[in-house]
Amino acid sequence: MSADLSIASPGFRRRPCIAGDRSFLAKATIAGLVVAFAATFLFSLTAGASDASPLPLLRDLLLAGGEGVSQHERIIIGDIRLPRAILGSLVGAALAVSGAVMQGLFRNPLADPGLVGVSAGAGLGAITVIVLGSTLLGPAIALFGIFALPLAAFFGGLLSTLILYRVATRRGQTSIATMLLAGIALAALAGALSGVLIFLADDAQLRDLTFWGLGSLAGATWSKIAAAGPIIVLALMATPFLARSLNALSLGEASAHHLGIPVQRMKMIAITSVAAAVGASVAVSGGIGFVGIVVPHLLRLAIGPDNRYLIPASALLGAVLLLLADAVSRTIVAPAEFPIGIVTAAVGAPFFLWILLRRRGVLDL
Amino acid sequence: MIEVEDLKVRFGRRDILSGVSLTAAAGEVTAIVGPNGSGKTTLLRAVDGEIASTGRIAINGRDRRAMRPWELALLRGVLPQKTALSFPFTVLEIVRLGLTGNGARLPPGEAERLPEEALRRVDLAGFSGRFYQELSGGEQQRVQLARVLCQVWTPVVDGEPRWLFLDEPVSSLDIKHQLGIMELAADFARAGGGVIAVLHDLNLAAMFADRVVMMKRGGVWAAGPPGEVLRDEVLHEVFECRLSVGSVPRAGTPFVLPQSASGAERRRA
Repeated sequence: MSADLSIASPGFRRRPCIAGDRSFLAKATIAGLVVAFAATFLFSLTAGASDASPLPLLRDLLLAGGEGVSQHERIIIGDIRLPRAILGSLVGAALAVSGAVMQGLFRNPLADPGLVGVSAGAGLGAITVIVLGSTLLGPAIALFGIFALPLAAFFGGLLSTLILYRVATRRGQTSIATMLLAGIALAALAGALSGVLIFLADDAQLRDLTFWGLGSLAGATWSKIAAAGPIIVLALMATPFLARSLNALSLGEASAHHLGIPVQRMKMIAITSVAAAVGASVAVSGGIGFVGIVVPHLLRLAIGPDNRYLIPASALLGAVLLLLADAVSRTIVAPAEFPIGIVTAAVGAPFFLWILLRRRGVLDL
Repeated sequence: MIEVEDLKVRFGRRDILSGVSLTAAAGEVTAIVGPNGSGKTTLLRAVDGEIASTGRIAINGRDRRAMRPWELALLRGVLPQKTALSFPFTVLEIVRLGLTGNGARLPPGEAERLPEEALRRVDLAGFSGRFYQELSGGEQQRVQLARVLCQVWTPVVDGEPRWLFLDEPVSSLDIKHQLGIMELAADFARAGGGVIAVLHDLNLAAMFADRVVMMKRGGVWAAGPPGEVLRDEVLHEVFECRLSVGSVPRAGTPFVLPQSASGAERRRA
């Protein structure tokens, strides 16, 4: 309650009732994002390559109880666009929340599942199932059914996260340089092993792999949602319970322990949730990058680093941005389709460079 | 009461603590003093369970090793020597983190009021909207103390004393705030809580501690009231330099005047 707000940094403009309290701003932002998500979701149902689109259709669907909607339009909406929008929302939320949780866990704003090799590890798991699923791993596929692919990606992601944590963190301190370098090594290793598998793949598998590797929501089906959805939803539901612990962890592991946080158990839950969310996302959508770094970073600028708000806001903004990116990817070269991973990378990579520029003094790389 | 018996800590093949025994009573400030590397911080961290150790540790008669992190958090707050923050929190947000352990147990409204009250206690009223990373080292140290105070605000809960473990709480503070923070610690003890503070300033220890534990090479060299421990021969043996101890007129507390590091008489040219 002073005039000290004059030093406010970007994103801290409004003056709440208690100086330094950004919870109101955060709640308002989350409310705004809920509205934005609803709007984007509906928009993504109407936009697309097919002429079954614009607003009249939406009006018919929402207000007239589906009357006046043709069979053709029903199929496009119900079997193609709706699952695609749901999958896009799940994947966007999963990637953004995974980024936020990893950054809290590594106490480092540059941690991102795509950058540090977690996605590559998950990809290796997925490729293994795609290529060897009909031969070597046949029995396992028969056992796990549609869950085989997301489960394999989950274990690939889990393994690389554990290795990464083991290599980059010493006595609770994560070295940024070590983390990024270890991520490069892990991604390279996963890439090499994936290369071996791709070498073994037949033509049909190759086509699958190429499109999958670029990152795409095309081919979203209800069965994909059934396979990946439960895993993503479970992982996302665990993360709000980590929020307080991650806040305490930003003071360091010792201080988190002082505040009564069971640090080791919390870290294992965080790592497992991230691996599950990223693994399931990678399994159904391939390598969609940069969502995990862009979304939490933007939100920290707006509402601050409190994970109780950052995590739900990341889920919403991640979903919104991925739905928008998907809308771009399927309209920009309509009627053909552009892989969404290229869209997120084209936007995300320059953004990442901008973060580096802004923070290179602070990061001490 | 905190009772420690035969506490041992090893890093690799080196004994950092070689069988330390001590007691600290609630209602008192216990100062741990000694040269660099004598094991003061290690002792505090071992008692708190941050590093592996052997030996008996009891807090208020309960075995510390059997306590869960949240039970311990309700009983004691810890101010570490250094705290590195990884994200841009405001001062208020940092202090509120102190409520993590016991926030739900406070009466309604108290959780809103406490952080600002704690900031006032460390002379940082009006700082709640500032960004932590923009503050000076001494201000950051006081913010952290306010956070710790929030965690154990009431010195006695249901007849059980709570504890403040302070690791060099005044190391980067100016003289006014050194006194202010030590008075705050003494007040906490006078209200029934217990304070264990690692201190480098022997005069602050003499002024504010009820008991002084003098450490050297991983063991307790001497322990007792300041007047008994802070004596010429003890200080000479422990610090291996020339100091002279006097007595503050009227108050009677000892004071320590540094003379020279070598042991020789030092004169200004």
